[in-house]
Amino acid sequence: PFRRKTPPIPLWHHFCPDPPPFWSSFAVKRLLMNPVQIKLSLCWANLTCNTGFFHSPFCLFAGKVRTRGIGGGHKQKYRWVDFQRLRYEANKEGHPFEEKVVEVRYDPCRSADIALLAGGNRKRWIIATENMQAGDIIKTSGVIGRMAVSANEGDAYPLGALPVGTLVNNLELQPGRGSECIRAAGTSGVLLRKVNGTAIVQLPSKQQVQVLESCMVTVGRVSNIDHNKRVIGKAGRNRWLGIRPSSGLWKRKGGWAGRKIKPLPPMKSYVNLPLISAS
Amino acid sequence: MFPEATRCLKASAPLFSKNVFLNASAHGGSSSLPLRRSLGVSHCLAAKVAPPKKPREKVEIPGLEVVTYGDRMHYVPGLAKPVYPSWERSYKDPRFYKSPPAQEMALYKDKPCYVFNQRTSVLEGVRQAAWLTKTSVMHGLPPHLVSLSATAENQLPNQDERVQDAIKHARFWDTTEPRPRKEKYSNTLLLNLLHLCATLQPTHPAVGRRILAENYSLAATWTRGEDLFQIRGQNGLLHCSMDPLPRVCEEKEVLETSDQVLESFYPVSPTIDLQQVNVYKEDVNCTGFRGDYPYPHAHTLYFLETPDPNFKLRPEQFRAKMIMFTFGNALARAHKLYGTQPQTLLERPVTVQAVGTNGRIFQFLVFQLNTTDLSGDDGLKNQVWLDEDVELYDFAKVRPLIKRKEVKVPAGLTGYKPETFSKFLALYLHGAV
Repeated sequence: PFRRKTPPIPLWHHFCPDPPPFWSSFAVKRLLMNPVQIKLSLCWANLTCNTGFFHSPFCLFAGKVRTRGIGGGHKQKYRWVDFQRLRYEANKEGHPFEEKVVEVRYDPCRSADIALLAGGNRKRWIIATENMQAGDIIKTSGVIGRMAVSANEGDAYPLGALPVGTLVNNLELQPGRGSECIRAAGTSGVLLRKVNGTAIVQLPSKQQVQVLESCMVTVGRVSNIDHNKRVIGKAGRNRWLGIRPSSGLWKRKGGWAGRKIKPLPPMKSYVNLPLISAS
Repeated sequence: MFPEATRCLKASAPLFSKNVFLNASAHGGSSSLPLRRSLGVSHCLAAKVAPPKKPREKVEIPGLEVVTYGDRMHYVPGLAKPVYPSWERSYKDPRFYKSPPAQEMALYKDKPCYVFNQRTSVLEGVRQAAWLTKTSVMHGLPPHLVSLSATAENQLPNQDERVQDAIKHARFWDTTEPRPRKEKYSNTLLLNLLHLCATLQPTHPAVGRRILAENYSLAATWTRGEDLFQIRGQNGLLHCSMDPLPRVCEEKEVLETSDQVLESFYPVSPTIDLQQVNVYKEDVNCTGFRGDYPYPHAHTLYFLETPDPNFKLRPEQFRAKMIMFTFGNALARAHKLYGTQPQTLLERPVTVQAVGTNGRIFQFLVFQLNTTDLSGDDGLKNQVWLDEDVELYDFAKVRPLIKRKEVKVPAGLTGYKPETFSKFLALYLHGAV
């Protein structure tokens, strides 16, 4: 009945400009235990997360089954991955920079591996590419030159700076928003063509998206390419991963069953260019 | 299910930010939902939610006083809500102390200072510490120093036996539990070895002119390049002496260090992992003792691995910390002797030693501060001799290690290495022989 009196806890936004949206209150408290460290290494806080957003009190649907098949699982530590690759250090805006890979390791919260980068005065986690190793030096540049660059794997460039046909990952849909596509293990997209200040990329699902050519992208293929070949082995392992069995209720097979032959979906455009008639 | 969910959402809408609400309702599609009873959710969630009230405009007319219900001490419709100044306590209560923002503090400076303390784990380890202290690193202890303990008069009677007893005491006998913990046995082992060394006092009276100090706090400031650096913190067990340590190498070798090039580690900045502060004192320089302290010269620092699991250092980082604190002690002493103005070549270099241990593996280090002019990369360098990862023994097992019914490692102390203790003793006797 009695609560222990605790000093008022500062909120996360006092330290971090854009926190991940799905941490539990427990995680926030743990994060706050060492605010100095957070300030220093903004992007690699270790938080604990269970099955993500659904169990957190911040979820709108807390306590209700919103998506079936999620629950339980081993408790995991969250590592704060910096999806905005082109995040300049303070006072060094606009210049391409290099970073060193300190370590490449497993991440329980995603299928791909993550890499710890150190460059300048900071460290951050990113999603590792296929052949990334500790000790590599990788480059990040926001400049679109007249000539296409010859990029090494792991480097990040705007789409406009890369030659057509490059395998890419960690695609941004809008410039400066952080990468949202092609982040799963072993996936890669292809830069198909560049048209009029935009670039068209084929996603792993074969869907084509049109984005602005200033969208950042990482060259190469995402790490952990054997992720699809692992053997779950038993039903219980899926439970460890937080996946629950499907309902045993008999359902008549509908349109979802059987082979389908469909045309490719039309190209999706994330570009809001003014119309020619408007100008 | 979906209408329900949307309605729940509407009910809870004021709780959440506008953005979230808008996104979710965009999924919902039609905004006019059919009104019907839903028994699946609590009535407070299913109820119709009033639209948020518009805040009333506050009109301020200059020259007119607002009539409030403050005097009546209760709410009266039609009268304005009184506005009082926020209450501030007239007394000082440390529980509710609010520090002013950093910019308004008296010690705030625009230029940041990089602070190294005992918990700092620098990414690049010894290389980074060498860059920060402008030091050329040599591996292995100087030979004339190691040979100090080779002669018979500089050794203990029954040395090996007594050292093994000291190890066994630390690892097996100093507990009522099955086995002592690492924090305990590493400390005991270090004190045992120091005690053994101190028994040489009758033959070496200079050993008696020393004292051990714990929990002294060190502060030293220097500039490297454009940046300001400080070493702060309480660390290690300090062996202080009345007499300074002699220089390890001659001036000719010191002058040769100006040709050596410091190892760089681009693209990582040398200041990575150091604490960056804006509130600091500029010229702090303190050895941790008052000016009239009779043992002013730091002789050897003894480091143990930190018991705090949150600030464990890996061996490379541990060695970096040893270098930094040895340098800090030497620099603070040099600043006391020669003033805080940078000196290109110290008349008498300041020598400080360090020994680090985790209860089995030892790190030995001798630091010679040749110059306090650290801002540029060229010119004279300081010197450090570093002997890494020296094992005192292989195993000290309470129970034997058995694999496939075969004893791999017997119980008790195995693989004792006498050279390690002789190095320890040599560093102890340095300056006393």
